[in-house]
Amino acid sequence: MKPMKDRHATLVDLLDRMLDKGVVINADIIISIAGVPLIGVNLRAALASMETMVKYGVMQAWDEKIREDANKAELKKTEMLSS
Amino acid sequence: MINNLYLYCIAEGHVEINFGNIGINGQEVYSIVYEDLSAIVHDLIVEQEKVEGENLNECAMKHAQVVDVAWKKFGTILPLTFYTVIKGEEGIEPAQNLKNWMQDDYKNLKQKLAKVKGRAEYAIKIFLSTKTIGTLLIQNDPEIRMLHATIARSPKGLAYMYKQKLENLLKKKIEVEAEQYFNDFYKRVTGCVNAIKIEATKTVDSDKQMLMNLSCLVQKKDIIILGKELDVISNINGIVVRFTGPWAPYSFV
Repeated sequence: MKPMKDRHATLVDLLDRMLDKGVVINADIIISIAGVPLIGVNLRAALASMETMVKYGVMQAWDEKIREDANKAELKKTEMLSS
Repeated sequence: MINNLYLYCIAEGHVEINFGNIGINGQEVYSIVYEDLSAIVHDLIVEQEKVEGENLNECAMKHAQVVDVAWKKFGTILPLTFYTVIKGEEGIEPAQNLKNWMQDDYKNLKQKLAKVKGRAEYAIKIFLSTKTIGTLLIQNDPEIRMLHATIARSPKGLAYMYKQKLENLLKKKIEVEAEQYFNDFYKRVTGCVNAIKIEATKTVDSDKQMLMNLSCLVQKKDIIILGKELDVISNINGIVVRFTGPWAPYSFV
């Protein structure tokens, strides 16, 4: 088995590391910007909502809608050609 | 507006280098050296740069890319946690603040660099299909088979009671199996890594459980051996292995 490192497929593994780990400087030379510690939280929330959307079929509905529209367009084209 | 420094990583070696505009928001990434250490940074004007919303994902990816570029160039690095910003103060440039910190923390940084030298981090997640393990137990476990047979020949009310008993027994047996797997897999993995961290497991879905979530520090030459061990594990019915990396050694610094 070989390890995977595709950027998109392994995004969660990468974020788990970057946001919670790595060297942390415990000194007053670090800037504290309002909201910066929330970056991790926001990023996770964005990812989680994407996963939930996929899980509960939001993407599926969207995909079906696109297909339906495409089919309608195709049908219209055929009708126009045959008339 | 105050100039600050966004710090990506600390690299081993005294190399003054400019990597060009490869940083977050296209910033110019360069090194600031102290003794035999190089800090990889970009200039950051806080008021100008916002890391929020849709931009976040891209920033995180950029951060990781810069760390990888520096890792390739220097060979050994200590990645900083995302969004570490060194500030400047009245009369003190942020670069000076950074150098002072590198000086104060020099021994510690050198020790950490020695620990990760020639090694990389890998993530191993092992999942267990409770459905598959449950089916196997129903087929092979004598106690469960017996209870299963009893249900088949019992009247409806009694069968319901036995069914609940079966469910509880099955749950318990799956837990025992999972624990045995955990111990076996942990032993197999520790045999080929330098250091290991057991991370919290996450909920996946009702049929699949994350059995183990590991961060491993591995020497380059041992990757093939680790891959072979993971092949053995993933060949077990009902077990799925996810193996990713190499990552900069975030979990071991």
